[in-house]
Amino acid sequence: MRGRTRFALALVGFVVVATGVIWRRSFGVVRAREQQRLEQQRGMLEAERAKLQRDIREASSRQKLERVAEDRLHMHLPISDSQVIFLKRPPKPRPNE
Amino acid sequence: MIRASRVGLMHGAFALFALTLVARSAQVQLFQRDQWRTRARRQQVAASSIPAPRGMIVDASGALLVESRQLVKLSVAPREVGVDRRKPAAGSARLRALARELARAGVEPEWIVRATDTTRLWVTLKGRFLASDVTHLTATPGVHFEPVLERMPPSTDGLRRLIGHADDAGAPVDGMEKALDGLLRGEPGRAAILRDAKGVRFNSPTEGGSEPRPGSTVQLTINQTLQDIAERSLGDAVKQTGATGGDIVMLDPANGEVRAMASRRADPLALAATVLTEPYEPGSTLKPFIAARLLDLKRARTDEMVNTYNGKWELEGRKIEDDHPAAFFSLADVIRFSSNIGIVQFAQRFSPREQYELLRDLGFGVQSGLPYPAEESGRLPSPQRWDKQTPASLAMGYALNVTPLQLAAAYGAIANGGELLEPAIVKEIHGPDGTLSYRHTRRVVRRVMTAETALTVRALLRGVVEVGTAQAASLATFDVAGKTGTAKRTVHGHYVAGKYTASFVGLFPADRPQIVILVKLDNPSKSIYGGKSAAPVSKTVLLAAIAARDASLDRRGLAAVPMRTARASASLADGAASADSLVRVTDAGSLPYVYRLDAPKTQSATAVVTHEVPNVRGLPLRRAVYALHRAGFRVSLATFRSGGAGGTAQDSRGPGGATITTPPAGTVAAAGSVVRLAFAP
Repeated sequence: MRGRTRFALALVGFVVVATGVIWRRSFGVVRAREQQRLEQQRGMLEAERAKLQRDIREASSRQKLERVAEDRLHMHLPISDSQVIFLKRPPKPRPNE
Repeated sequence: MIRASRVGLMHGAFALFALTLVARSAQVQLFQRDQWRTRARRQQVAASSIPAPRGMIVDASGALLVESRQLVKLSVAPREVGVDRRKPAAGSARLRALARELARAGVEPEWIVRATDTTRLWVTLKGRFLASDVTHLTATPGVHFEPVLERMPPSTDGLRRLIGHADDAGAPVDGMEKALDGLLRGEPGRAAILRDAKGVRFNSPTEGGSEPRPGSTVQLTINQTLQDIAERSLGDAVKQTGATGGDIVMLDPANGEVRAMASRRADPLALAATVLTEPYEPGSTLKPFIAARLLDLKRARTDEMVNTYNGKWELEGRKIEDDHPAAFFSLADVIRFSSNIGIVQFAQRFSPREQYELLRDLGFGVQSGLPYPAEESGRLPSPQRWDKQTPASLAMGYALNVTPLQLAAAYGAIANGGELLEPAIVKEIHGPDGTLSYRHTRRVVRRVMTAETALTVRALLRGVVEVGTAQAASLATFDVAGKTGTAKRTVHGHYVAGKYTASFVGLFPADRPQIVILVKLDNPSKSIYGGKSAAPVSKTVLLAAIAARDASLDRRGLAAVPMRTARASASLADGAASADSLVRVTDAGSLPYVYRLDAPKTQSATAVVTHEVPNVRGLPLRRAVYALHRAGFRVSLATFRSGGAGGTAQDSRGPGGATITTPPAGTVAAAGSVVRLAFAP
């Protein structure tokens, strides 16, 4: 192989390697941006999940349910005209009884 | 001699240039490598701090109370949006579109105007936004986002007062957030930010960084159900009694853990947990401790009588009065009917030093040690500062200030057999990886009374609820023990007419108490008495707690407590027959059922406790009074003329004395009712 051919091959090799390095770097940068976008999206979704969980907690909180039970079901908390008593549950009847 | 040709010179010059390049390259890359690398990094890579999420705060059952969430802060550069020299119309259209999008995201109109005002360079919008609400703005040039962590406050007012707040930057301002900041804040991470040719920043995929370490999770001893019950009951009570504020604290006397802590003030700027920050004069709720120490020192017996001068007495020029006047009271009756005259006379058996030591032993005058930055220690003057009235004032619960928590903790000693426990609000602390780093364990500060005395005092307090000043706190099914307090309030250091603190401290149930509850109302306008305004609140809270499934009560333990009255059992049997009266059936084991009873119980339960009026005919006056007190009656003295029985007296005169009772001997009367004792002077 002649010297010029060798030189040309070496030059092509250099260009290929340099292109590969640059491509790899560009690819990495693109992926990094994508990763950052996904992380932002994750943060966004987690914030939304936290909000929804808080909404659920508030909707199922005692304060909320008390109001609903009083307004819609006409229930009320035990007050001075009522008492709360624990009973022993009567024994279950045997199957043959 | 070789002559240098022009070609040779050119080759030499190129070779020299190449050598210079190589040499310089070697210098830059080999010898100045670190210097240039640093300079390059400074231009392209910026270090960035990643904020650590603050730790969560959960209640005793693990329910989430406080957490952080990521929001975004929006900034607008109006000129970037609206100034387009090539196409001015396009700029205006972008501004109008931005205004519409901001309105959709919930930005206030005033801020929309600012954000679209092209005379401004930079506008940071007020408030924080959920990222999902502003995603449509991400493509708009000139709109800049900055992620921020926001602390979501607890949902109830009482918990907000206790846990505190964080500012816009996420830094704690007050409350437990501030006290436990070192645990909650975590450690921020680091990231290398790259800038590309367009100036866009992104995290470097190759440069090393560190993840943020979230803060620890703090589990409180607060039970959210009890907290909700306490807050609602307190709110209703403040409204109904016309009070200017109030506090409720509930704690477990077995381990000192605070279960609920509710505060309410008319002043919207009063944002602290006043259970910890506003000491007050406890009034008669202090009397049981005087009795306890006297019993411990064996300087009094529960049935020992003192003269209470029919409710009016003067000591060192100071008039002392009782709301329930009687001629004589036993120590038990002094507690039962909250006699100021009686307790002052009993307290005279202390030396000043002994009385001071009693109050100091109960933890008054020193902080309880809860992690709350503004906790007050209260005020307990040392004997050197006492005047001659101070011992009497202290016996009646004046001349010292205690916080509601201190007083509840002191009652915890009566409930648990005599040990003052250190109150606790933090149950456990878990690191971000879930490892347990702290767990509260029961810590005894000191023993303040013997177990036997504690039992005796509990019996006295039970009498207060059964037949004394706190009947409004009575339950049909369980014995409740407690003590009422009605104390004058001071304004600028002087007692003011018509201003009172009404309070009640209860132990539930009276046998093996599971809860100590303190209810305090400031300036109630409808009834100033603790027994009338604060005691019913305690009953409401306890009823709701019993009815709730998850209120930190040992329901099996409660189920094992015998029914208090036969009437309650009878009512229960009636109720069991009616399916309509059954509200709910819960556990499968020992089975709490919840019933509504139609009959008010307080009156019926009181009527059940009856005694026979003893025959005191012929006894000396003092012994006659003593016998009536022992039988559970209050005594009112009257005189009659020696010519015959006065008034409506029906009993005959005894031969050796002059004692007549109304109602007559042998009559069955309600315990605690007044027996009129007439005698010839």
